[in-house]
Amino acid sequence: MLTVESTPTASDITTPLTPLTDSPEADVAKGIKGLQEDSPQSFWQRWQVEIKVFTSTFLTIFLAELGDKTQVTTLLMSAESQSPWTVFAGAGAALVLTSLLGVWVGCWMAKRVSAKILERSAGIILLLISVLLVWDVVQG
Amino acid sequence: MDWHLLGLSFATVFLSELGDKSQIAAIALCGSSKSVRGVFLGTCAALLLASFLGVLLGGSLSQFLPERWVKIVAAIGFAVMAVRLLWGSQDEKTEQI
Repeated sequence: MLTVESTPTASDITTPLTPLTDSPEADVAKGIKGLQEDSPQSFWQRWQVEIKVFTSTFLTIFLAELGDKTQVTTLLMSAESQSPWTVFAGAGAALVLTSLLGVWVGCWMAKRVSAKILERSAGIILLLISVLLVWDVVQG
Repeated sequence: MDWHLLGLSFATVFLSELGDKSQIAAIALCGSSKSVRGVFLGTCAALLLASFLGVLLGGSLSQFLPERWVKIVAAIGFAVMAVRLLWGSQDEKTEQI
């Protein structure tokens, strides 16, 4: 009885493994791909992408936040009372935490939604933010 | 260290920033961009510098920077990113996928 039960499980394990170790050529191709990814040129390219993302994110969010009056006033109000560095420490911790939460939610959604839908919805959201900013300017 | 003031500033900024446009922008950018680290560091640096300037300059910040123009430039920046995402070149899109 035991041997009969054990044989199908053994075959279940071996059958999915066979397509993975397809051929030696596939392994060589994978190895070459891995080498290409680690080459200094692609490393530099990846670095460039990261710098590009960093600067575009930094500039737009920085300018949007500078225009945001509420934050400045709350900071100012509490800073006037006592030491500004304590206020900055508290505000800075809060800001890092909120952006961490934002990035976390974004990544969580990126795993669930297809890239095309995500790109389109992200574009619409950013467009809405810019419209909101223009609306603020028109109103103010 | 005044823990009461620290907690107060943390709570007010955290609650006012939760769901604010910068956080929504971080969500959108992170989901669509290739570099999560770049988005996170960029967002953090921008927010910290903005609040640092707010603390440092306080009320005189509005004298140096006309709020309307800053907002308009930020709006243009977001619009450019949105257009790039929505109608970006086909090469970039295949690269991103």
